[in-house]
Amino acid sequence: MVRRHARPGQQPVLAIDDLRVRFRRRRGVVTAVDGVTLEVHPGEIVGVIGESGSGKSMTAFSVMRLLPKTADLSGSIRLDGQELTALPEAAMRDVRGNRIALIPQDALQSLNPTLRVGFQVGEPIALHRRGTGTGLRGRVLDLMRAVGMARPEQTVRAWPHQLSGGMQQRAMIATGLALEPRLIIADEPTTALDVTVQAGILDLLRAIRDRSGAGMMFITHDLGVVAELCDYVYVMNGGRVVEHGPVEQVLTAPAEDYTRMLLAATPSLDAPLAEVGT
Amino acid sequence: MGREINWPRWRLALIGGVIVLTVLLVAIFAPQVAPYGPLDLDVAQMLSPPTAAHPLGTDELGRDVLSRAIFATRVSMQVAFTAALLGLVVGTVIGVLAAYFGGWLDLVLMRFMEVLFSFPAILLAVVLMAALGTSVFNAMLAIGIIFIPGFSRLARAATQAVMRQQYVEAAQAIGMGHTRIIAREVLPNIIAPLLVEAAAAFSYAILLESMLSFLGLGAQPPDPSWGNMISTGRGFMAQAPWISVVPGCAIFLTVLGFNLVGDGLRDAFDPHLRD
Repeated sequence: MVRRHARPGQQPVLAIDDLRVRFRRRRGVVTAVDGVTLEVHPGEIVGVIGESGSGKSMTAFSVMRLLPKTADLSGSIRLDGQELTALPEAAMRDVRGNRIALIPQDALQSLNPTLRVGFQVGEPIALHRRGTGTGLRGRVLDLMRAVGMARPEQTVRAWPHQLSGGMQQRAMIATGLALEPRLIIADEPTTALDVTVQAGILDLLRAIRDRSGAGMMFITHDLGVVAELCDYVYVMNGGRVVEHGPVEQVLTAPAEDYTRMLLAATPSLDAPLAEVGT
Repeated sequence: MGREINWPRWRLALIGGVIVLTVLLVAIFAPQVAPYGPLDLDVAQMLSPPTAAHPLGTDELGRDVLSRAIFATRVSMQVAFTAALLGLVVGTVIGVLAAYFGGWLDLVLMRFMEVLFSFPAILLAVVLMAALGTSVFNAMLAIGIIFIPGFSRLARAATQAVMRQQYVEAAQAIGMGHTRIIAREVLPNIIAPLLVEAAAAFSYAILLESMLSFLGLGAQPPDPSWGNMISTGRGFMAQAPWISVVPGCAIFLTVLGFNLVGDGLRDAFDPHLRD
């Protein structure tokens, strides 16, 4: 049932094939991801939707290989054709933040409270030895301007808690973009933000995709965001992909019961008020 | 910036700070501050009560009690500082490694800490001194070792809390290695409670050093230390109580000062107590 959305003549940025993640527990084995096959192409925003526990975040963390030690991973994960599951940890460290970036859900929680914002935005560059000193400072300012950070010269010196939620998320996005990654994994990046700020962040992500041509994997449970942002969508439930296809097709003519259920559970502004009242 | 400091709330910490500063200055400038040398004999004035020449009296050999108490400050500060630092550094390293890497390393290190913890502190100090031999250096070592398990448990618990934070996950996600994560993410976020503990350890170290010297295991006579001064003064309590009372008061004031500073630090780092 699950086939790839392969595009002829183009190599996907990310190709996950039959990924399984199991956790060894004292009693038996818990399967968190159960045979997921998924592709992300350059310049494409791929939505992964599903309720909590559907395995969508586990899939993302498998790509980064940041799973807990008790996790057992099988299947294939290829980044630009290179198999990641076979890479040793040291080589994997060079992939993280360099070729794959993670934009986390809660930006404030993801910023170290004891370091200044500018330092943290520049950290991937310093870490992967792509610049130091004054050159680094200039690049940090460029990055902050690129993500629409207000007053970048002052903000580099600010502490994380002094920024607004939207600015914190922009700082995390700037950190992610620092080394022009091939693949950006956004793990519910707008869930913690209010709607107006959310719209600004979505615009920014779209602009980044257009500018860089990177592939983006967008994990969310918000169907509204998927409709607005994504090109292609995978619906996950119970560790499996239950349906996938271009966004218009999946959202307007879902083939699976589960997808229909998800769509029905989304409150709509167009729905007549009487329906809400009953 | 421009914030008003709430002085009444910090009054005790301020008093403690003044005491601590005074004690430290006295220790550093002991030769300048003391009216006599610690070993100077004034045979004509043995067991003299406080007089103009000897403001806090003399001991059984005619040595000036004030001067000896002043020079004893040096031993106390050296021992307390070195011991607290040893406990802080070694304990933090053990606790952070145990929590960060977990697994069998955690198991082995923490069981070892529990063995150390299971001895009463004073008994352990005496046993260590007996094994190492009596000297000021060994007193530092013995007291420092006593502090290691406490610091290691605190560092381990704090590290475990930090490891659950998303900024550690974010650091891994940009490809940071273990060393950098420990140095940049873990240590700066666990240092506050450890410094508070270090202040408490400092005042406890002063007490332990005095106790070891009192038992004859620390600084050796004729070198002055508060503990051995109290010990020798014991025999003259009826005729010349000042020999023991002066170093006793010195211990009391110093420990009080460091405890007040420690409490102040704890309040300053406690987000719940912020105005």
